[in-house]
Amino acid sequence: MQPTVTDENNSVGHSVPPSHLRVSGVHKRFGGVHALRGVDFEVARGEVMALVGDNGAGKSTLMKVLAGAHAADEGEFWMDDSPVAIGSPHDAAALGIQIVYQDLALCENLDVSANLSLGAEPVKHGWGFLPRILRPIDDLEMEVKAQEAINRLEVRTLKSVRAKVEGLSGGQRQAIAIARAVGAESSVVLLDEPTAALGVAQTRQVLDVVNRLRGTNHAVVYISHNLRDVFKVADRICVLRHGGNVATFNAADTTPDEIVVAITRGLDEGAGNGA
Amino acid sequence: MVPDAGSSFVDRLRELRQTRFGAFVPVLLALAAIWSYFGLAVPFWEYLSDPDADSIRFIFLSPRNIYNLFMQSAVIATLAVGITIVLLLGDIDLSAAATAGVCAALLGVLVLAGVPGWMACLIVMAVGIVMGAAQGLLVAYVGIPSFVVTLAGLLGYQGLMQKILPTGNLNVGDPFVRSIARVLIPDSWGLALAAALVVFVAVMSLRRQARRRERGLELDTNLAIWGQVAFFAVLVFAAVITMNSYRSVPLMIFLLVAATAAVGWVTTSTPFGRSIFAVGGNAESARRVGLNVRRVRVAAFGIVGLMAAIGGIFGASRFGSVSYTAFAGGSLLLESIGAAVIGGTSLFGGRGSVWNAILGALVIGSLGNGLDLSGASAADKLMFSGAILLLAVAIDAISRPTGGTAR
Repeated sequence: MQPTVTDENNSVGHSVPPSHLRVSGVHKRFGGVHALRGVDFEVARGEVMALVGDNGAGKSTLMKVLAGAHAADEGEFWMDDSPVAIGSPHDAAALGIQIVYQDLALCENLDVSANLSLGAEPVKHGWGFLPRILRPIDDLEMEVKAQEAINRLEVRTLKSVRAKVEGLSGGQRQAIAIARAVGAESSVVLLDEPTAALGVAQTRQVLDVVNRLRGTNHAVVYISHNLRDVFKVADRICVLRHGGNVATFNAADTTPDEIVVAITRGLDEGAGNGA
Repeated sequence: MVPDAGSSFVDRLRELRQTRFGAFVPVLLALAAIWSYFGLAVPFWEYLSDPDADSIRFIFLSPRNIYNLFMQSAVIATLAVGITIVLLLGDIDLSAAATAGVCAALLGVLVLAGVPGWMACLIVMAVGIVMGAAQGLLVAYVGIPSFVVTLAGLLGYQGLMQKILPTGNLNVGDPFVRSIARVLIPDSWGLALAAALVVFVAVMSLRRQARRRERGLELDTNLAIWGQVAFFAVLVFAAVITMNSYRSVPLMIFLLVAATAAVGWVTTSTPFGRSIFAVGGNAESARRVGLNVRRVRVAAFGIVGLMAAIGGIFGASRFGSVSYTAFAGGSLLLESIGAAVIGGTSLFGGRGSVWNAILGALVIGSLGNGLDLSGASAADKLMFSGAILLLAVAIDAISRPTGGTAR
């Protein structure tokens, strides 16, 4: 179980990379349930930040707040140190925040390239007299773009961008969902349990893709229950418990055992806090 | 993992349905089966069992009958093309035939009142769009299931048609309206048109292939390209030559093909069409990428309304009259939904093509025509149609991928 931190982010405490997206004091209540109680969270470009915690710890709620699917009741948001507001998925998308939900939301009846440019299909020139939605799609351009996106993430097992999604494996689908999120001019990619339903080889493939996102200077937030996977890709690990922060660890300086303790029992004050 | 014979057949069926022209295969096979039964088997049987006959009479496959078959199927096909659009969304439209009836009745009343034929046609097409889109608004914005909305539409529009035509019957003598079914495209023009179409398709395929090579994309095999062109050429020329050998290609068939080509192009080649398939495949996904799912729904129902209005005009033109039983009260609705489904358009949404709807309409039309010729009763016709429809839906259900869990 080798931690895969590669670059200079190995140090603990005060020399963490400058955050790209940062939130602090986030509260979210659902009726009587206080799901998030003043959570602080940050992620830097070129970093994979894992978000772990037990069921009900608030991981998914925090993720949805970041993606604009839920509006936070309280809390401050910064992108590159300028305050921003995230009230809707549209706001999040405009800020370059993209989420890949667990259910992926791909159109299985369409091919890979159509899924990748869905909603933003390139159209041919010279048809300006028609409204945009009735202009002919430049499907060759679409395939070129799709091929580029797939190559960037090095999804080697995918034979053709003209393959229908329904014929693909779980890992390939996950990779395509990620490629779609990355393709949409995004700088922050939120991944919700990307390997939950996958076998060993498929998981390997998805983790490779996540590693590649670090190389493309994206800020990646990675939710998972599987600590083995977390330690394979994450630079830092943020542990939530009962809707609040426990601690943020540098993956290189901690062990799965320590994380498990933090998830299940919380933490005594001041032990190895990485943020 | 060695699949046994049964599952490999199903798998092969599935793979077949996913190729570009593969979706045509089941409906073409059905058509071939019906034509060879009525066209070859029945005449032979009659010849053998009747000692007085001196030669075999191929009535069903005679150019005259095929010509009539095309004309009979044209109205069904027009409606089926429209219904295909809402089926692609995973919705259904039960009111298409009633909409066609209202539009036809309105057309008859308008030309009787002295409105020029062409203007009356435009007016009823607009009315059809409004009637369809109104139902679409209820489905998309109020959230009532399309089955219920269009069932209400079916009843309401049937009533509306009876209001417009208190006698239940009206002759349409307007020369413009009648000309749609009566004008024939001269033989030589028909052939020239067919040749031009085939050349166009071939040139477009080759140009596309050249562009793919230019941009370094994966290439289609030459066999696939020329196979598609040859397949298309055979279909087009066979249809034109058959109709020429009785009369000529009627204007109505040409208009039907043109309208279908327009709708087909919109569904397969534009962002709007892509959004129809996306909503039918996974509405949640479409919503998340920012497509306006509601507007797509309304537009799709508007297209059904338009095609229903065109079907109404075709019907009025062909019969020279508008009657309640020919549209709203008859079997037109079920025949056109059946045509769309037999053509291979999935009731589950996201899969299908408007061209298949035309072939499906031919299947339904051939069945009715063939049973009529062999003297079957109306009861037999209904039962046969039911069996064919059931078969088509069964093929759809079997060849439908079961989703991610299977792999």
